[in-house]
Amino acid sequence: MDFFVQLFTNPVGFYNQHELLIAQIGINAILAIAIFVTFYSGQLTLANAGFMAIGAYTTVIMSLYLPTPLPVNMLAGALLAGLVSVVVGLPVLRLRGVFLAIATIGFVEALRLGVILNVPITGEGQGLHNPTADPLGGIVPILISLPILAYLVWRLTKTRLGQAWSAIREDELAASSNGINVPLYKMIAFIISAVLAGYAGALETHINFFVDPTEYGITRTIQILTFAVVGGTTNVFGPIVGAVFLTALPEIVRQFAAYRDVVNGVILILVIIFRPQGIVGRGGLAIIRPRWWIRWRARERPAAAH
Amino acid sequence: MTQQVLNAIFIGSIYALFAVGYTLVFGVLDVLNLAHSAVFMLGAVITYSLVALHGMPFLPAAVIAVLVCGLLGLLIEFVALRPLRRRNAPPISALISTIGLALIFVAIVEQATPGTLFSWLWQDGANSVRFPAGTVPNPTYHIAGLTIEGTKLGILITSVVLMLVLGYVIRYTQVGRALRAVAENRRAATLLGINVDRVFASTLFLSSALGGLAGILFGLAISDISPYIGRDQVELKGLAVIVLGGMGSIPGAVVGGYLLGLIEVFALVRFGSNVEAGVAFAALFLVLVLRPQGLFGATLRERL
Amino acid sequence: MSALLQLTDVRRHFGGVHAVDGVSLEIEEGTIFGLIGPNGAGKTTLVNVVTGYIRTQGGSIRLTSPTGTAELARRPPHAIAGLGIGRTFQTLRLYRNLTAIENVLIGMHTRRRDDTLQQLLPLRPLMRLDDRRHDEARALLQTVGLNPDRHGDRRASTLSYGDQRRVEVARALALKPKLLILDEPAAGMNPAEKDRVRELIQKLNADGLTVLLIDHDMRLVMGVCQRIVVLNFGRKIADGPPATVSNDPAVVTAYLGSHAPESASHVPGSEEMDVAATSKPAAAAEPASPLLEVRDLEVAYGAIKAVRGVSFGVRQAEIVALIGANGAGKSTILNTLSGVLRPHAGIARFGDLDLTTAAPDKIVRAGLAQVPEGREILARLTVRENMELGAWARRDRAAAHRQIDDLMKQFPILGQRQNLPAGQLSGGEQQILAIARGLLAHPRLLLLDEPSLGLAPQMVDTVFEVIQRIHNEGVTILLVEQNALRALEIADRAYVVETGRILLSGTGMALRRNPEVQKAYLGG
Repeated sequence: MDFFVQLFTNPVGFYNQHELLIAQIGINAILAIAIFVTFYSGQLTLANAGFMAIGAYTTVIMSLYLPTPLPVNMLAGALLAGLVSVVVGLPVLRLRGVFLAIATIGFVEALRLGVILNVPITGEGQGLHNPTADPLGGIVPILISLPILAYLVWRLTKTRLGQAWSAIREDELAASSNGINVPLYKMIAFIISAVLAGYAGALETHINFFVDPTEYGITRTIQILTFAVVGGTTNVFGPIVGAVFLTALPEIVRQFAAYRDVVNGVILILVIIFRPQGIVGRGGLAIIRPRWWIRWRARERPAAAH
Repeated sequence: MTQQVLNAIFIGSIYALFAVGYTLVFGVLDVLNLAHSAVFMLGAVITYSLVALHGMPFLPAAVIAVLVCGLLGLLIEFVALRPLRRRNAPPISALISTIGLALIFVAIVEQATPGTLFSWLWQDGANSVRFPAGTVPNPTYHIAGLTIEGTKLGILITSVVLMLVLGYVIRYTQVGRALRAVAENRRAATLLGINVDRVFASTLFLSSALGGLAGILFGLAISDISPYIGRDQVELKGLAVIVLGGMGSIPGAVVGGYLLGLIEVFALVRFGSNVEAGVAFAALFLVLVLRPQGLFGATLRERL
Repeated sequence: MSALLQLTDVRRHFGGVHAVDGVSLEIEEGTIFGLIGPNGAGKTTLVNVVTGYIRTQGGSIRLTSPTGTAELARRPPHAIAGLGIGRTFQTLRLYRNLTAIENVLIGMHTRRRDDTLQQLLPLRPLMRLDDRRHDEARALLQTVGLNPDRHGDRRASTLSYGDQRRVEVARALALKPKLLILDEPAAGMNPAEKDRVRELIQKLNADGLTVLLIDHDMRLVMGVCQRIVVLNFGRKIADGPPATVSNDPAVVTAYLGSHAPESASHVPGSEEMDVAATSKPAAAAEPASPLLEVRDLEVAYGAIKAVRGVSFGVRQAEIVALIGANGAGKSTILNTLSGVLRPHAGIARFGDLDLTTAAPDKIVRAGLAQVPEGREILARLTVRENMELGAWARRDRAAAHRQIDDLMKQFPILGQRQNLPAGQLSGGEQQILAIARGLLAHPRLLLLDEPSLGLAPQMVDTVFEVIQRIHNEGVTILLVEQNALRALEIADRAYVVETGRILLSGTGMALRRNPEVQKAYLGG
């Protein structure tokens, strides 16, 4: 409760005390926007942790070896992630559903274990120290980027492109009957998502002193997925709310901080079963009547009729 | 090299046993049960707990652990799968709800230290432990210049026998036919009078019991028991195995398990341990992209 | 007038099934063109070939427009849509979670300039195009008879079934198509709703649109089309104006089925079982103590009411047939009896068992088995395994095995192929297997759903002989058939089902002579 009291009575003090948390919330919210874009186009891709890694490593390696200014390095990281997403997306986006999810997980782990751990310039398993890290200054670009990106993606969903994504998500077959080039628009979503994830990865290096390969594995991927599922993907604010809520939750209920994964798991299951549209989204709770309940009601009915 | 191939076969047996349960659920329910790796871990953890914390002999401990894992399978079915089927949710939802259960299972063990709620189950938090020395007799044989440990041999025999029994049940018994009927066509099976829900529950029980057993054998063979063995050691590798063999195919999972064992050992010998770690995922990725029906051509069903 | 769309020798087969087998036709600009044929004739496959969802395996498909002629074969669906072919789907495919207006807006995709960058900065003057599009979408909804104020902002899935069909038409129109393909736009509708569909099609055509209409409902097709092509078994069997086509003997046979060889004996004693049928839509006298009793049954799929208050009964040792055109609700009734679907209202009793609540496995165990439409044999299991599973609900394993061996002798084709995967059997053989599998449940009542569907004529004879034989052995049968004449030949009593209601009932013999039956199928 102190958390909220301080938030409202002493926002400056709150900000100073929770700077890292706020930065992490911002990063996670951008990642949530990234996964939202692919969800919105009806694709369950779990490649974002990999694109984050590409963004993060590119930025740090450029900072280490090139004289280019940091913003250029960060941008380069995001763009390289976008470039890789084209190469990965071409074969992978033909897959659907569970198969797409598995293939993208395979990409994430193959990148981390197969490439990052084996290429000397990435520091292999040791990770890299980031020479330009600036935990306090790093928050600024995050807090500036988040609203801009959220706005842009929100507007994007209203355009011809965004409507094509909606159509594909709702019904691919019908979408192509309306003249929508399904593979093309799926690819565009995948690239945008990769660029956003790469950018988030680049931003994150800025607040950490260290790039650690273990950060970019399946655990991260699942965490990002959780933001989207819990928040809901009817609009871009769902995943952002999910990211903010789930990142701040351990801070809010300190006594459960140790069991945060238990809490996350319970929330995830409750949401997917009872509120498949997420926290943000239209409609009420899904109603599931167990069989015994139906049978019991049916037995009541004739009794009432007599 | 021959010694390495032997090792590949031992580890391959565990992969295969784990993957058979994984693929069984996918084949019958059309759902990817991502809590399977957590059950694998719990199999090892429960056995360890019964042996090391409660002083039970190994065999009864393992039997109890396998049964408990089967019950956890029922828990997965009733909590994470059945409610979703009731409202006709897409199979992808089940992927997410089982992730939720996996998170819970792992976190419970990870947070268990002396004096906490689950200290009766586990006391070592995030640390890795091994079975106390002498839990199972481990004679070592030297044959033709090869070293064969008794436990590993036992593991090989146990898993091969179990997979043969499972194969027989599925191929030649009425229950096995019902399982295949439900896997192929739920509606037709229903009209034949098969209680599909009951078949699903039995599948989860069987699959999870096998997964738990694979975890116990892993704990014995690798001498590494921690909350993370499922997630880090077999979850994604198990996926690679069932993708290699064709998702939903049991013979495919067996062959895929041994194949992955061999590929990994080959990568280790040829390129070193860093490459070994990534080779499973490269294989997974390549097979899905190039030959999504698996190396042995099981039918691929694409449904969202 | 010139041909807008020209098909020449179009072919497509799936495995050994020739779904579309060398079809040629020409659709002239400005006409309403009908494509009809019994279930499984290849109509929808043909439409999917034309619109690029299924690849052709031969022949050409040419679309002629003022700008030139385009070959459609091998183009992807979105490119074909871009050339100006709009379509609806047999099973509704709306964007269910989007509003009606959003559905129509997406339909404008191909005509709409990419405005992504401009939309990112939504300044008022730049948004005028957006407003214009909205107005157009509302106008389109109005065209198809929806009130944009009342329906426009509602999610598509919350609209009534008929309105959803309209939204789908509006969405296809948003493409400004040269050719509009309507795949069974009136399926599942009642007569009044069908009339409104007919009016809509005529109105669109009057505005200059060329329409290709696919439907089972002959009345609708005959009423609006200037030219009709009839398909059966993937081939064109008739082509011409409605009057010619409806009198074509080949068409009548395709729809009503052929008469069996007269040698097929009638069930002894059936004549005294029931009153003669009347030609009025009145119920025949219902059996007094039926084995199966259905009263006021109503079943709905979401917004679609498939069965609207049906009552009938089946007595011990009878064959009762439910006949009627596709989409009348016959299969829905059987699936409700088997416990796969749950009714909205009404009573269904089998002996003491309440079929509206009992679990499907209990129903089979109580002695009510179904041989489902499309056979649903387990293709990857062997013939013998399929039969073993037929006896799943039985406790007497030894007797079941004896019966399997008996059936293998009775149907040598099953005996010879007992160890082959059932998927390798031909369609007719699969049907025999499905019936044998149904018998192995030891049913007191066997439900047979469209046993002759998609079978060649000789095979149809065999299947009906089998049905007759098992009936003579004492099995009570409830038969659902499109092949009305054949069904009436062996049925003791029959009910004609139309749009979820029972239209006529009577003895099989009487209904065969009843002209109303032909009307129910072929239209007036």
